[in-house]
Amino acid sequence: MDVGQRLTDQNFPESPEKATLEGKNKFLGFWLFLGGETVLFATLFGTYLGLRNSFGKGPEASEIFQLPIVFIATMILLTSSLTSVYAVLALKENRVKAMRGWFFVTLLLGVAFLGLEIYEFVHYVHEGHTFTSGAFGSAFYTLVGFHGGHVLFGVLWIAALLVRNSGRGLTLYNSPKYYLFALYWHFVDVVWVFIFTVVYLMGKVG
Amino acid sequence: MASHEETKSVHHHTSLQKKIKLKQERRQHNVSFVMMILLTIVAFAAIASDAVSNQVAILFILVLAAVQVFFQLYVWMHLGHKGHEFPMWGIASGLLIAVITVGTLMGLIW
Repeated sequence: MDVGQRLTDQNFPESPEKATLEGKNKFLGFWLFLGGETVLFATLFGTYLGLRNSFGKGPEASEIFQLPIVFIATMILLTSSLTSVYAVLALKENRVKAMRGWFFVTLLLGVAFLGLEIYEFVHYVHEGHTFTSGAFGSAFYTLVGFHGGHVLFGVLWIAALLVRNSGRGLTLYNSPKYYLFALYWHFVDVVWVFIFTVVYLMGKVG
Repeated sequence: MASHEETKSVHHHTSLQKKIKLKQERRQHNVSFVMMILLTIVAFAAIASDAVSNQVAILFILVLAAVQVFFQLYVWMHLGHKGHEFPMWGIASGLLIAVITVGTLMGLIW
């Protein structure tokens, strides 16, 4: 079967994302990439944990962190992880409209998260907590900013996928692409779980 | 004719099984979502309340974070499904190096 051919309910494989060799390779390669990403974020977390009390000229973490906004951001990202799971379930049932709808909701929630983060960073800078105010500031913006960069990349990725495949059904060619985005998005949420725990909650109690 | 009927019913049977499986999966996803929301609320509450000492609260929320990661990896990223042996090795070695890295960096910077 041609990989670009629209799948029907009759010939729909159980795992369309792994039905071709290319799909299998992408699946394995992406998981190995996520293993590498884990180490990348570990270096940033380790650095942050080492420097988190070196405030320099800036304010202390417990003074500036605002838990309500972090809580809302956490809920937004958690919900977006659920919507991308719904999208993958729809993918496995060959319901392409539902899948694209859930991915679009995921995209909107990602944008909302980025908006909150930008608002938060602007607020911190006004409070004197900047990239150069101390080692804490440098480590904080590098770690949280790197995660925000991953969210931004994910938003651009799914936007590109949705635009490129608009009006197209699911094929053996585009199913792995959608599936891998969902994996990436879950991983970004996993990193955030540690950021709100290690950076914000631990920063609040010192 | 009879064999044709049979293949048709087999096909129907497998698609029904698939539907049931996906329905179960959906329920699992919903349960793990509610669990993660609850874990998040408990983590924030543990820090906000003065009832628990800070050291205990930090240890507690780190455990909660680990539980959440388990839900994400196993349920949402399907790491528990069959055919995930190599992904398991990839992410497990990543986590091992990650723990060593965090420990080393925390020890080196003082």
